[in-house]
Amino acid sequence: MLEIIVVVTSVLVALALAIVVANKMEAIRRRDTEITSLKKSLDEMDEQAKLIVRTDMELNKTQEALDKKVGGLYALQKIAKTMSTTLEENQIFKVLNAEHLKELGFEKACLFLWNAAERKFVPCLSIGYFADEITQIESDLTSKNQKYLDLIQNNRATSSFSLSDHFLTKSELLQTYKVNSFIIAPIVPKEGNKGFLVAGTENVDTAITEGDEELITIFANQISQSLENARLFEKTWRAQQGLEQKVEERTRELRMALEEVKLVSRRKTDFISAVSHELRTPLTSIKGYASILLTGKLGDLPEEIHARLEKINRHSDELAHLVNDLLDIARIESGKMVMKKEEQDLNKIVDQVGDLLSVQFKDRKINFIVDIASDAHIISADYSQINRVFINIIGNALKFTPPNGKITVSSRKKDGQVQIDISDTGCGIPEEARQAIFDEFYRVDNTINQELKGTGLGLSLVKHIVEAHGGKIWVTSKIGEGSTFSFSLP
Amino acid sequence: MPTIYAGLGLSAEKHLLTAAQEAVHQAKINLQNKKVDLALVFSSIELSNSILLKTISVYLEGAPVIGCSSAAILTTQGIMKQGIAVLLLNFPEGVYFNTACVKDVASKGTLGSGQELGEKLLYGFRDIRRDLSIIFLDGMMKEASNFVNGMQQRLGTSFPLVGASASDDMRFVKSSLHFNQEAFSDGACGVLFGGKLSYGLGVKHGWQPLGKPRQVTSSRGNIVYEIDGKVASKLYEEYFAYSLAELKNELKRISVLYPIGIYLEGEKEYLLRNILSVQYDGSLVFQGEVPESSEIRLMIGTKESALEATHQALQEAKNNLIGKNIIFVLVFDSISRYILLGRNAYRELEIFKKELQPAVPVIGLYTFGEQAPLTAINYRGRAYFHNQTITVLAIGG
Repeated sequence: MLEIIVVVTSVLVALALAIVVANKMEAIRRRDTEITSLKKSLDEMDEQAKLIVRTDMELNKTQEALDKKVGGLYALQKIAKTMSTTLEENQIFKVLNAEHLKELGFEKACLFLWNAAERKFVPCLSIGYFADEITQIESDLTSKNQKYLDLIQNNRATSSFSLSDHFLTKSELLQTYKVNSFIIAPIVPKEGNKGFLVAGTENVDTAITEGDEELITIFANQISQSLENARLFEKTWRAQQGLEQKVEERTRELRMALEEVKLVSRRKTDFISAVSHELRTPLTSIKGYASILLTGKLGDLPEEIHARLEKINRHSDELAHLVNDLLDIARIESGKMVMKKEEQDLNKIVDQVGDLLSVQFKDRKINFIVDIASDAHIISADYSQINRVFINIIGNALKFTPPNGKITVSSRKKDGQVQIDISDTGCGIPEEARQAIFDEFYRVDNTINQELKGTGLGLSLVKHIVEAHGGKIWVTSKIGEGSTFSFSLP
Repeated sequence: MPTIYAGLGLSAEKHLLTAAQEAVHQAKINLQNKKVDLALVFSSIELSNSILLKTISVYLEGAPVIGCSSAAILTTQGIMKQGIAVLLLNFPEGVYFNTACVKDVASKGTLGSGQELGEKLLYGFRDIRRDLSIIFLDGMMKEASNFVNGMQQRLGTSFPLVGASASDDMRFVKSSLHFNQEAFSDGACGVLFGGKLSYGLGVKHGWQPLGKPRQVTSSRGNIVYEIDGKVASKLYEEYFAYSLAELKNELKRISVLYPIGIYLEGEKEYLLRNILSVQYDGSLVFQGEVPESSEIRLMIGTKESALEATHQALQEAKNNLIGKNIIFVLVFDSISRYILLGRNAYRELEIFKKELQPAVPVIGLYTFGEQAPLTAINYRGRAYFHNQTITVLAIGG
């Protein structure tokens, strides 16, 4: 019985153990499955992490490139602003400094311009190089001039990133410019010397990109543009300077000529004044004696002598008149004649002149019209002198107006002055003579002048008198229709 | 109540003497002409030399100076790539400090040099409670973690140690340290504060782990030979689908954007490590120590996560100073973050401007490495050599 119990118990224990083992085995299997599943998830997560990291890396690179470009463009804008403030060629290179270059991502730069006369490249800018290094580069360029000239001709940048086969080798260039990466961009202003810019870095970690090449090309273009502006400005400035110098010279010459003219004019006035004075004394005697003889107090004169004496007397009067006119002109020119300005009524003056010439008007059937405006009849003038003006101009009009013609005297207010117009319906004055008629001794070449006598001093005297009053005189005329002499008085 | 006074002066002048004069003059005015107890001087690498420091020392009448070169100087007025920044400090009674430097680290060894600087800083601190140490290391120093360990062996771990590895103009060639009238490389300098100094510290990086965890199966110091039993470089080769040669070409970018993160038991944040180089056998050389058997992850950062880290670090620093006025803020910002942020670097400034009173001077460096505890909230007595982090140290009064 005991044996049976032992066997049954053993079987039960064995069964229980089997169940426990089976359960444990199941749990282990489940855990293994879970571990495998977790491991798989972890591996999958790790694979996803790899994708994330790679994408993130690309994003960062793009961002970096973008930042670099934005930074570069910002730097270019700053440089452009600095360069635009200078219009002197040498100054352009002085305003560029290491800081600007650093902002563009480089620490070394040099710029050479081609000197055609000396057939060599001349250094104009150096940043990050010692003087002896630039001298070395300069001498190094001597044997390679043509290569650089071709580069300038093609106007295309090259770099350690995109070196052209037709240019120098990378190692040659690295040796020349002592950098690890570089960009060479042509400097091609429209006018003057062309050249090239080298920007480089010694930093082994800096790789030149297409973006860098674009940036330095823009930088080189900015320099070219600034050079062009500076040269154009220089040219314009020089032209302006030349022009100003010429104007100054001409002004000086004119001033000297004017002084000379004034001197000559003064001498002429003095001469006329002196001669006139000298002429007046004998003239007075001649006229006096002729008058005495004509009175017959010294005995009767034969008819022929009387007629000759009459001529002497008349010509003496004319000569005295001419001498007086000349003397007046001389006095006005020299400022010796003072105009005694007083208020004058134009109506009165014109009426008096009309009365004086009334016989001639009547003889020649000339219609003399006076049209003095009510608000322009008072003038400030020297009575006797202004009278001479009217007599001269109206007298001239009378001389050149054919019978049945018309002479009009009118006045009006214009620009605060009184303007007087004296019009006739005469033959008119040729255009070329209109300015000269106010010159002394000038007479228009026409038939009337050939027939009638005149000194050629009348209008000149008129002009002097009007100007001595602070006024202006001018003439408008149409051949065959008549002339208008106008003068204004303040 | 006695407080700390701080005066910040900046100059972007290229001429050394003018720059020194301008910055010191400005800083003195901002310090309200109080006595200068300590000066922090940071400059771009081309200005970092002994002439600059001697000139500054003359203007400061021999006040102690510490500082270093930086790729750029961050202030609320902008990010200055060239120039100098001078922060003058005046401490009230009860705040103690001592400055010291160590040179020729390469020949002396990093651990020993760290110990030496620690010993020098302790001079005169026998009965004074130590509060905080700020150090500046040559950015080219290898095994900087050892240096930090050496310092903590002497200074103890009861208070935080924060520091920056000096940087240059991103050429990664030479950095410079400033100590009194001297500028030098291959060394370190620092200051130890004690007494009643109030400060808040925030340390963050913002990088997130990606992919499955890996194990460093073979490493020594800062060189990792094998990861998961495979040549170390395979980790990056597989993730980026690069050959070894391609990996070498892209190393600079990868180092900044995709460091590895070391998992530390009990810590929330991963400790980041940048790759310095890939050796011919595929082993990876990191900027700091990577212990064998450590669990690592590939890390990924974005501009937004980096900016969020700035925000968090500043908040942490401010939270530690609740109830106190912030007198000035020191920022040690990894150069990698500067590169990552690129043109958006100014957005970090916006964070500081928004979160701080306008009168609070902020002065920051872009570093080749940072030294700080892993987390500032629950300080566990250990400073690490970091990469990619931003350390915000707010001094209160």
